[in-house]
Formats: sequence, structure tokens, C-alpha cells
Amino acid sequence: MKVLVPIKRVIDANVQVRVKSDQTGVELTNVKMAMNPFCEIAVEQAVRLKEAGIASEVIVVSAGPAQAQETLRTGLAMGADRGIHIQSDEDLQPLAIAKLLKAVVANEDPGLVILGKQAIDGDNNQTGQMLSALLGWSQGAFISAMEKDGDLLKITREVDGGLQKVSVKLPSVLTVDLRLNEPRYASLPNIMKAKKKPIDATSPADLGVEVAPRVKTLKVTEPPARAAGVIVGSVAELVDKLKNEAKVI
Amino acid sequence: MASHSTGAPLPTLPEGFLAALRQIVDDKGLLTAAEEILPHVTEQRGRFVGATACVVKPATTQEVAEVMKLCCDHNVAVVPQGGNTGLVSAGIAFAEDRAIILSLSRMNRVRNLDPLNNTMTVEAGCILQNIQDAAARVDRFFPLSLGSEGTCQIGGNIASNAGGINVIRYGNSRALVLGLEVVTAEGEVWDGLRSLRKDNTGYDLKQLFIGSEGTLGVITAAVLKLFPATKERSTAFIALGQLEDALPLLSLAQSVIGEALNSFELIPRIGMDFALKHAQDITDPLAQPHDWYVLLEASAGTQQANLPTLFESYLELALEKGWITDAALAQNTAQADSFWRLRENITLCQKAEGGSIKHDISVPLSVIPAFIRKANAAVEAYLPTIRPYPFGHIGDGNIHYNLSQPIAMDKDEYLAHWDALNRIVHDIVVEMGGSISAEHGIGRVKLKENLHYKSPLEIRMMQQIKQSLDPKNLMNPGKLLPDTRK
Ligand SMILES: Cc1cc2nc3c(=O)[nH]c(=O)nc-3n(C[C@H](O)[C@H](O)[C@H](O)COP(=O)(O)OP(=O)(O)OC[C@H]3O[C@@H](n4cnc5c(N)ncnc54)[C@H](O)[C@@H]3O)c2cc1C
Ligand SMILES: Cc1cc2nc3c(=O)[nH]c(=O)nc-3n(C[C@H](O)[C@H](O)[C@H](O)COP(=O)(O)OP(=O)(O)OC[C@H]3O[C@@H](n4cnc5c(N)ncnc54)[C@H](O)[C@@H]3O)c2cc1C
Repeated sequence: MKVLVPIKRVIDANVQVRVKSDQTGVELTNVKMAMNPFCEIAVEQAVRLKEAGIASEVIVVSAGPAQAQETLRTGLAMGADRGIHIQSDEDLQPLAIAKLLKAVVANEDPGLVILGKQAIDGDNNQTGQMLSALLGWSQGAFISAMEKDGDLLKITREVDGGLQKVSVKLPSVLTVDLRLNEPRYASLPNIMKAKKKPIDATSPADLGVEVAPRVKTLKVTEPPARAAGVIVGSVAELVDKLKNEAKVI
Repeated sequence: MASHSTGAPLPTLPEGFLAALRQIVDDKGLLTAAEEILPHVTEQRGRFVGATACVVKPATTQEVAEVMKLCCDHNVAVVPQGGNTGLVSAGIAFAEDRAIILSLSRMNRVRNLDPLNNTMTVEAGCILQNIQDAAARVDRFFPLSLGSEGTCQIGGNIASNAGGINVIRYGNSRALVLGLEVVTAEGEVWDGLRSLRKDNTGYDLKQLFIGSEGTLGVITAAVLKLFPATKERSTAFIALGQLEDALPLLSLAQSVIGEALNSFELIPRIGMDFALKHAQDITDPLAQPHDWYVLLEASAGTQQANLPTLFESYLELALEKGWITDAALAQNTAQADSFWRLRENITLCQKAEGGSIKHDISVPLSVIPAFIRKANAAVEAYLPTIRPYPFGHIGDGNIHYNLSQPIAMDKDEYLAHWDALNRIVHDIVVEMGGSISAEHGIGRVKLKENLHYKSPLEIRMMQQIKQSLDPKNLMNPGKLLPDTRK
């Protein structure tokens, strides 16, 4: 069974994001980028499936500008076998990405697609679900455990009320949550090997997918700054402030 | 090893002295209750507890000056104190010192930030981490960084010429200070807050106060150098072929990565074992165990520098040469931070394994591996089951050559070997042209040891400087130099 892992290049999770002065988006020049943390977990899971003899090949795919290849190399260094780069400088929105992935699935015929549950830039949490609907495959979102059981996958989903255990039929689309695994580090020998692994280049046009954005961003602004805290002198003062200033009691 | 001074009688203060202090600093600037004083006289590792009659906390330079004048008039000795994280008991008053503690913690304002001049002017009580953060807010970098940065104060860093993890590129505190404001032992204010990179108008007095451990005057403010904020950072956790390979590996880094190299830290397998056993959230970055590791970091102030590519080709070269056998490369900031968390735990986790006899040594870089091998052989000959724990800033020629106790031995029985083991190790250090205190200073803990190894002329010149700046020997007496008061 081939496993396809779509991965995204985003601003490093520990970088303080700044809004561009013209309010058209966030500042990306001179900012450290990295693989979306949930995508790392997806790659790790796919590589573990291969190590366990369940997956025959792990393919990482990324849609985006030329630098997305760096992110693919990271996936390859973690143990994926080959990469697909869908070159595009468009603002790719979840539906467009899901359509691109559907086309890749048609070409590659994987038995399983594993994605991060969301990308930390747009926090959309949509691509996996849309892909599953477009393919007509089963879906398991927000998974924190998985186990193969014949033709079924037994998965644990992190839902609002706690954990939900379900079985899904293969082929399936899974999106992974934080607790599923701890991604491995990329080792130097594996980074060197990754440089020799193939990355196929394709494009939305090659795949026959129209990717023009359907949602228009009007303006991006910083959230209002939090007012500084104050140290109150007494419980009475605190109660007074809660009552008369904050008006919460 | 000097004994604990718990329960020693409190030094008595002259008539009316406390009331006069209170006049200067008000109630909130004066601590006299035993439980409030205790944290100020307890060394951070808890090994020593001192004694003092009061802790005074002035809020302004003017108040510091008035306090010092009062102390000078009444012949009361003063121990300046920052975050009290020092490791040689330099910032604590002991009963025999008959001193009060002057804490700078209320003097914590950033007075000026000048991104164009790449400088900031801060008061001595600013916590180091707050200074780093303030610089980051104007897109600048203040490179001094050490394990205690959340607690230690810039005044304490300067007074002890602290080093840390970026010395290889930016130098230690001495290299990062352009100007100082100092209150003298007699209560005068010297305004040396010049933010100039060039100033050849006489003796460089600030350098005397840097590393003086509070024995010459009270630092109240400083002008610090800033650098471009880090935009790209490459961090690797590396397994060495053998200890000796650290040297060509460093040399190669300097020629391939060049000045972008910030940190080059040695970690022994025993340190990794301790961290994996005792710390939470620590994983071994590499698949197999190795005897020696280096944590290496390089950074650039722009992204164009293409640092990651250089960094990878450097490591590939080192792998080909056999100097390294494996390495993990951080793919994002969180992974880089986890390597550093591991490094911090190398320091912290020794405690969980019983007694540790400390050495903070430097030798010329070229003989570091030879030093470690020789010292290991010597201490093992003395006590065969001892567990040498050499780690730290190897890129600076500085090793924390600590010795963890044999597994089954009683802790106190082990610590009784402190002086003997110090002598064995320090003899080797001095013979190799090294220093018995690379970055932690002398304080009270290494006073005798320093007198043993330094030439009489060098000690005498230091005493003459002290005598001229602090004629009554009231500044932190008994630290760094012997107490000469009656
Ligand atoms: C976990 C940990 C890691 C550390 N790592 C390093 C490291 O990597 N490199 C390194 O060099 N050190 C290291 N240290 C020790 C280091 O020297 C101190 O943490 C720090 O520099 C001392 O600052 P402080 O404010 O705590 O000073 P204190 O301990 O309060 O005082 C230190 C000395 O400075 C004097 N002093 C303090 N403030 C003033 C002032 N305003 N005017 C005049 N004299 C003053 C005191 O009298 C004393 O002699 C480490 C310590 C810890 C606990
Ligand atoms: C063409 C030219 C260009 C210059 N450009 C610069 C420049 O770009 N930057 C700059 O900083 N300066 C510059 N200078 C001045 C500079 O200070 C000197 O050229 C040089 O540093 C002095 O070295 P010297 O051996 O000639 O010292 P001298 O002129 O012989 O002595 C200078 C001082 O040092 C003392 N001294 C000399 N040797 C010793 C010793 N061994 N021990 C103790 N004290 C000693 C002397 O008593 C005297 O006080 C320039 C000078 C010239 C002529």
C-alpha cells in the first residue's frame, strides 16, 4: 500500500508573526519557515507504517512556490521515499489544494492519505475533509492513535468530549492530531540520502486543476493589544475593580 | 571545603545605622526580618548559608550613593548582590564578613535603547532575560546568554564577567560593555555611561569593575552593545568520532561557516545518561549512543546568507573525514530549542546523582582533549569509581570539569575529598597553562586556591588597585582577595 502525505511550508511555529504594513497579509520576507508541525506528525506516522511493513512506499507532496522543495527534502530526510512538488505561486486555498491532491491520488493510487489536521498559518482545518469528500473515501480526522486490522483501520479521534474510537475502511483519508506521535529528528546521513531521492515537478495546469482563489482577503490586522495588568493592593480593591471597571460581577 | 555558617551570630550594626538607612530607602527598601533575609544569604545550590543584619534595596543611583556614603562613614562593609545565582559565594555576606547586603533588584529600568547606535543603557538590576527581550523588541540581539538568565542580573553578570554560550562569537561580558555607572566605595557617582566604540582618553576604568566581583564599587548602570537580530539559525546535535575530533571539527567550522558560529558545546555520554534519566521531555536526538557529543549552533542576521546550505555542507565534510559519526539537524525552532533544553539539563541533572565536586577550568583550546584524558586518569587513580563529568563551552577552551560521586558512596564522605581533588585537577590545569576559574570567578570558594597559584606580584598589584579604590576595604571584603580589616 502506498501512503501519500501532503505537507505544507509555513512560518516556523516559534516565530512572532507580524502583519504587513499595507495590511494585505503577514510578513513573509526574512522570516524563518519550516514544515507545518502537524504535517511532521503525518510524515512520522507514514514512515512508521513503512517500518512496520504496512506501507510499501511513502510519497510526500507539497503545493506551493519553489521553496516548498526544502520542505519536501525535510520529509524525505525523515524517511519518505520520494516527493512531488506542485509548483504554484498562487494563494492556494483548501479547496484548490484538495482538488490538486485528488488529481495526485488519481495518478499515484495510494491506499491511504495522511495529512495534518490543520496548517498553523491559516488554521483552516479543511483540506483533509474536503479531499475525503472529493474522493468519496472514508475519513478520520484528529486522530491520536491508529492500528491496522485487516481491511480496516482502528483509529482514535480527539473530539470535544474526549476520545472517540472508530474503524474506517481503506482507502481512507486521515488527519493527525498532536498526540499521535513524536516526530523524529532528521539525521545528517538521512539528509544526505534525501538529496538523492527524486522530487517530481508538476503544476496545477499539468494536473488539470483550476486553483484561482475563491475567497478574497480584504484586510489583515493585528488583534488588539492586551492592556497591561495591574497589581491590586487588597481583595476589596480587586472586588471593586471587577464590579465597577470590568463589570463582570 | 569551607564549612556551613548557619546559625552564626548576626553582625551588629552601629547605633542609629539602621534608622539612617531607612531614611534613605524607606521601608520597602530595607529587609531586616530573618525569613526575608534568608534567600539573600542562601547560595543558589543551597551549599552555603551566610548571615547579615539587613538587606538594603535602593531604587535609584542617588540612593545607592547615599547608602554607600553612610556605610563608609560608619565602617560598615557592603556585599553588592544581583540575582544571587553566582557559583562561588561571591554575592553573599557571611557572618565573619560583618557586612550588609546591597541588592540592586529594584534598579531594573531600561534607561535608553538606541537601535541605530546598537546600544542600550540599562540599570544594574535588570534581569538578563528582560534585556534580551527588550533588544528583540527593536529587532536587535543581546548575545549574553547563560543557564541562569531568567534570574541573574546584568550587574551581577558584569561584576563576574559572565561568559555563557555565545562567547566564541561575541566574547564574554567584558566584550559587551561600552560604559558603566559606578558608585564608589566612598559614595561618589562615577558617570562612565559612554556609548562609544572608540574612546582612548585614558585608563579604561570600566574594565577594572568588570569581573571585580563587587570588591571595587557598586555598578548601577551599563551601556551594552547590541547586534542584528537573528533571522536564520542552524543547530545540530553531533556525535563525535572521538573526543580529539572536536578540535578539527571546530577549526573546520571556523573556515566553512566562519563568523556565523556562536556555540560549540561539549556533552559527554554520562551527561546524556543523567539527563535522560532525570529530566522530563528529553529524548536522545540520535538513534545510537555515542561517547561524546557537540551541540553546535550558527546564526545569521539576514536570510540571504544561505546558512542552512553552508551548515549542511560543513557537516557532510566532517562526516566524510570521520570526525563525526552521526548528527541530528534541527528542522525548526522547536527542535533547536529541544537540543538546548538537553544542554541545560546536562548542568541541572548532576544534582540528582549525588555529590559533585566542581571545577570551572580553561586551557588553550589545542590541549583540551589532552587535559580531559589526563585529568580523568589522575582522578580515577585517586578514586577509581569516581565519575568524571566534563562538559561545557569547549569552543572557548572552557570545561566544567565536574566529578560526580561513586554510585554507592555516602555523599558527605565523598565531598570530604573536595580539596584533594581540586588540587589534583588544578595542578594539571596550571601545568597546561590554564585557569582555575574560567567564568565563575573566585569569590569565597576559590580564594585560597587562587592565592596558591597566582604569582605574589599579580596578587599584590590586585591589592594595590583595591586599596586605591576602596581604602577602607569595605567592598565585599574576603571575596577575591583576603580580608585585611582588623
Ligand atoms: C544554572 C546556572 C548556569 C550558569 N551558567 C553560567 C555560564 O554559562 N557562564 C557564566 O559565566 N556563569 C554562569 N553561571 C554563573 C553566573 O556567574 C551567574 O549566573 C551570573 O553571572 C551572576 O549574576 P547574578 O546577578 O546572579 O550575580 P550574584 O550572584 O548576585 O553576584 C555575583 C557577583 O557579582 C557581584 N555583584 C552583583 N551585582 C553587582 C553590582 N550591581 N555591582 C557590583 N557588584 C555586583 C556580587 O557581589 C558577586 O560578587 C551560571 C549559574 C547558574 C545558576
Ligand atoms: C600614517 C598614520 C596613520 C595612523 N592611523 C591610525 C589609525 O587608523 N588608528 C589609530 O588608532 N591610530 C593611528 N595612528 C596613530 C597610532 O596610534 C600609531 O601609529 C601607533 O599605534 C603607535 O605605535 P608606535 O609603535 O609608533 O608607538 P609610539 O608612537 O612609539 O608610542 C605611542 C605610545 O605608546 C607608548 N609605548 C610604545 N611602546 C610601548 C611599550 N612597549 N610599552 C609601553 N608603552 C609603549 C609610548 O610611550 C607612547 O605613549 C596613525 C599614525 C600614522 C603616522
